[in-house]
Amino acid sequence: MPIRRKIACGVLILASFSLLRSQQLFGQAREVDVAVVVQPDTPVSNLSLAEVRKIFLGDRQYWTANMPVVLLIRAPVARERDVVLKTIYQMSESQFKQYWIAKIFRAESVSAPKVVYSNDMASDLVAALPGAIAFIDSRDVRPGTKVVRVDGRLPGEPGYTLR
Amino acid sequence: MFSRLLPVFVFLFAACALFAQSAPPSPAQEPSNQALLDQIQQLQKRLTDLEEHQRQTDAALAALRGAQGVAETTTAEKPAQVSAPAVPPGAGHPVETAVRGHDHAEIREATIHYPSLQIRGFGDVGFAATDQKGTTSGFDLGQFVLHFASPLSAKVSYFGEVSFTAEPSTYDVSVERSIVRYDYNDYFKMSFGKYHTPMGYWNDTFHHGAWLQTTISRPEMVKFGGTFTPIHFVGVLAEGNIPLGGLGLAYSAGLGNGRSSFLSKAGDSGDINNNRAWVASLLARPSRLYGLQFGASVYRDKLTPIPGQNFDEWIESAHVVWTKEHPEFLSEFSNVHHHDLQTLQTYNSQAFYVQLAYRLPWQENKWKPYYRFEYIHRPNSEPVWDITGTPSVKDLVGSTVGIRYDITNYAAFKGEYRNTRPGVNEPRVNGAFFQTAFTF
Repeated sequence: MPIRRKIACGVLILASFSLLRSQQLFGQAREVDVAVVVQPDTPVSNLSLAEVRKIFLGDRQYWTANMPVVLLIRAPVARERDVVLKTIYQMSESQFKQYWIAKIFRAESVSAPKVVYSNDMASDLVAALPGAIAFIDSRDVRPGTKVVRVDGRLPGEPGYTLR
Repeated sequence: MFSRLLPVFVFLFAACALFAQSAPPSPAQEPSNQALLDQIQQLQKRLTDLEEHQRQTDAALAALRGAQGVAETTTAEKPAQVSAPAVPPGAGHPVETAVRGHDHAEIREATIHYPSLQIRGFGDVGFAATDQKGTTSGFDLGQFVLHFASPLSAKVSYFGEVSFTAEPSTYDVSVERSIVRYDYNDYFKMSFGKYHTPMGYWNDTFHHGAWLQTTISRPEMVKFGGTFTPIHFVGVLAEGNIPLGGLGLAYSAGLGNGRSSFLSKAGDSGDINNNRAWVASLLARPSRLYGLQFGASVYRDKLTPIPGQNFDEWIESAHVVWTKEHPEFLSEFSNVHHHDLQTLQTYNSQAFYVQLAYRLPWQENKWKPYYRFEYIHRPNSEPVWDITGTPSVKDLVGSTVGIRYDITNYAAFKGEYRNTRPGVNEPRVNGAFFQTAFTF
């Protein structure tokens, strides 16, 4: 077998393996749970999915009388945002935008969720802003934040719904 | 000689170039594979370096936060194991400084500043053509609306709404809503100002700005400028959630001026009599049925449309809606009870609408066909609606069928066909309506 053909076969096998591996990794990435994180001072450690929805719909706006809820959400295209829109809001991107415009100008909410552009930024803001709540890839949860149980389950546990 | 050979050289050169592009890798290219592998190794090394750098940055950040007394994290998958490096506090370590600067910029940007005014505009352009005698077809500019929202502090906020409506010779400028609200918590929020009366569903959900609603127009029973129910309310309003399990209950209760001598207007400049109107409503959004909302409300006022003529007014209203768009279902009913305080006669008028829409799943969910049936019944002898000599409320039976196409997230085209019978024994009116509505 000419050496060129051997090299070509080798490259082909390597490429196939890489493709397979990347698909496996991608598949794993899709399965990773999304954690609900809050600042450690926030007086909450367990929320039902309905309560998370109520908070992110802007229907619950205060943790306590002196601690307003500060909503943080990833910018479009991020996987965490897709999970939130699909699981929590059950809306498309345009429905989500229309929902918040209508909500603000019905005088029901002062502002829409703040947009964050990375999990690092979300972690930083959750740690710094009292009352902040965000969705973060559970692998990227960092010190300075508290992970909230959803329906009694933490990310990675069987039956966890945010993925 | 050379000129004769030149085309041959050019041909050979081109052929070599083409061959080089299409031929299988030659032995001379083997070193390039090696170069690629080298590059991959270099990139891997660089990635390792970057990860190490990130780890150091995280550790520095953790140390910084540890010094500031921030509590530790709790994670399920990977419990926080942040080893605090030996970074002397306040030593101005470049990593620490960079992290702090980065954080502060983000936090500054995310923090709400007071006041923080947001303005959003709404507009629409329409075309209407009907077979009703005495009407003309043509374009209209609709309403130009500006909405204002501004938090004044963590617990106080302001909302305003101003509309500009085209009139034959000028524009009618109107303050539609002006509300200053104090939030104590989720269970008690108190506000003062001018509202869309929190009664029923449509009037409290879809404000000025045709883009906000699915259809081109509002149902007749809650149309702007209509008199069937009071569209506006000037006074004080308390509202909030009721913490009662998964029912998602919320209440609102208001006290205000009620209708002015023009029944379609609220008493912006003062009440027409010494009797205050009040409104109370209760609604539920069960958490198990996300999208469902139902509620009921009661409104009470004393009307003085003409000095010396007084009527008690009671309005009971109920609604059931499914707010998701697959499908969207809106239904609302109101009964208006008038009691003439001179003759002691009572009159009851009823109105309802049922609207069904469905956001089609094709073409990025841009199409939304809809249908609405509406009905108004009033007694012939009802004096309040005829107080000005011209009936302000008529019997009505109507159907609207149309489609909405969302051009973008912020603009839509709508087309409608309406068939209505505006009054007993009146001929039916057919009409075609088109509108482009947008927000900016």
